[in-house]
Amino acid sequence: MSDDPTVIAFDTSGPRCAGALLIGDRIITRTDDMARGQAEHLMPMLEEMLAKEGLVWADIDVIGVGTGPGNFTGIRMSVAAARGLALGLNKPAVGVGVLEAQAFGTSGPILSTAAAPRDMVYAQRFTDGWPESEPIFTDLTGALAVAGPDDVTVLGDMAPILLAAHGLPTGPQAVSVIEGIALLAADPIYRMDHPERPAPLYLRPADAAPARDAPPTIIP
Amino acid sequence: MTRTILGIESSCDDTAAAVVRQDDEGTVILSSVVFGQTTLHAAFGGVVPEIAARAHAEKVDHCVEQALLKANVKLRDCDAIAVTAGPGLIGGVLSGVMCAKGLAAATGFPLIGVNHLAGHALTPRLTDDVAFPYLMLLVSGGHCQFLIAHSDDRFERIGGTIDDAPGEAFDKTARLLGLPQPGGPAVERAAATGDPKRFKLPRPLLDRADCDMSFSGLKTALLRARDSVIGPDQTLKAADQADLAAGFQAAMTDVLRAKTARALDIYLALSPAEPVLAVAGGVAANMPIRHALTDLCATSGVRFVAPPLALCTDNAAMIAFAGLHRLARADFDDLSLSARPRWPLDGAAPGMLGSGKKGAKA
Repeated sequence: MSDDPTVIAFDTSGPRCAGALLIGDRIITRTDDMARGQAEHLMPMLEEMLAKEGLVWADIDVIGVGTGPGNFTGIRMSVAAARGLALGLNKPAVGVGVLEAQAFGTSGPILSTAAAPRDMVYAQRFTDGWPESEPIFTDLTGALAVAGPDDVTVLGDMAPILLAAHGLPTGPQAVSVIEGIALLAADPIYRMDHPERPAPLYLRPADAAPARDAPPTIIP
Repeated sequence: MTRTILGIESSCDDTAAAVVRQDDEGTVILSSVVFGQTTLHAAFGGVVPEIAARAHAEKVDHCVEQALLKANVKLRDCDAIAVTAGPGLIGGVLSGVMCAKGLAAATGFPLIGVNHLAGHALTPRLTDDVAFPYLMLLVSGGHCQFLIAHSDDRFERIGGTIDDAPGEAFDKTARLLGLPQPGGPAVERAAATGDPKRFKLPRPLLDRADCDMSFSGLKTALLRARDSVIGPDQTLKAADQADLAAGFQAAMTDVLRAKTARALDIYLALSPAEPVLAVAGGVAANMPIRHALTDLCATSGVRFVAPPLALCTDNAAMIAFAGLHRLARADFDDLSLSARPRWPLDGAAPGMLGSGKKGAKA
């Protein structure tokens, strides 16, 4: 692989199809907002992006995919597509957490956040773009605990709330999430650190309760 | 002409991939790999859709690799990718469909979205080269219907369950009786030593002249019968367990036999040259049910065809085989293929199940 791999990246963890092509030092992105229909839209959208640059799938060196956290169905569909592409192209697919992508290229301490259902929060702390905690699913208090005592800058969905309620500064992202996914996937050191196949980052257990009615005890 | 096709199936709790090849000599299953999930769902008394979906998403590609390896076929030697596009648990179907789209985009091979029920319904042609038209009883954990297969793309549904599927009823019965999952084999084993006549369980819908069935009332009746003999601290005597299992299995067998007899009448009115009743689905592995159907066929002069169990239960070879028919016609889907939770095989028959605003399930 050349030093400048051609990367295709995509993310359907939220109500959108986001795609990026990294070609040399150029990055092309496209975001189509939609609440549903990502499964039908994603692959044709990526093919349109490739065609516009005069590329075909065989030109791709690395596949980057957003692994969440986010909509379970959304992250699964992108992960499954990335794995299929990797197998078909015989090229690596790299899973990138969206909180990490969001913090890409930032300096200093960062709390990268995303809204979770029912007023909960996904949060992860970074310094200079390097993760300092695992991503977690928590409430606002839990997110503040992850932020720590020093002055973190908050990125993502929770930034306005944490600014209003706790005066935490909000910062500009260095790049968009989809750009961050492509740029991290392009990084050979990141790929070395993440050799496994992409897997969804659910952070929440499956919504399933063990059956309530206990079975009878069998006696002779 | 040789055609090689990769099949992918992930519509319930089995992740499966297969490679099937067709040439002038016939059709050969080069490999058929199934990764089950039984242990993942054991604690929940049924398949949990989100748990199933999570497993599929991270298994489909491994399953495809194994199928190619076992078939000793390179992906580039395939001619098309066939995938179950419904009906089924949508998270699982979607995982398979998206993986197939990735494979199809990467290779440039045609993508073929297959109806899971068509996969089952065409299996007798793969295993026994049965001639059209034949009567199909599809009886599994998720489905129960009578279909007349007129051609590889025309199936006429003449009846089916209006609520639970028999496999589901077997699983719930096993749970109520303290038997392990999957319920079918466990109930059959327990029933072997039981008295099927001791508990009077209903034979739902036998008073109706059609081929429709209902099993949810049978399940409730079984619960009442169990509660009539259950001891303190929720204890159940092994002899009672056996009698209840036998009673349930007998009711299920009677209903399937009687409704199959009616379905045969409708089918035989078509005067097929070589009449055949074929079964598919895990419940078709139940020996008393199979004996009842075999016996019924013998008295009606109809050949009874039961594919080997591995091809009766969910598998990807049947999806690949169904895909071969579409490949021969160059009837392909594109990368906008939808995964469909509901997809009746017979679009003309009125919906029987879950016909809410999203349409009929099957």
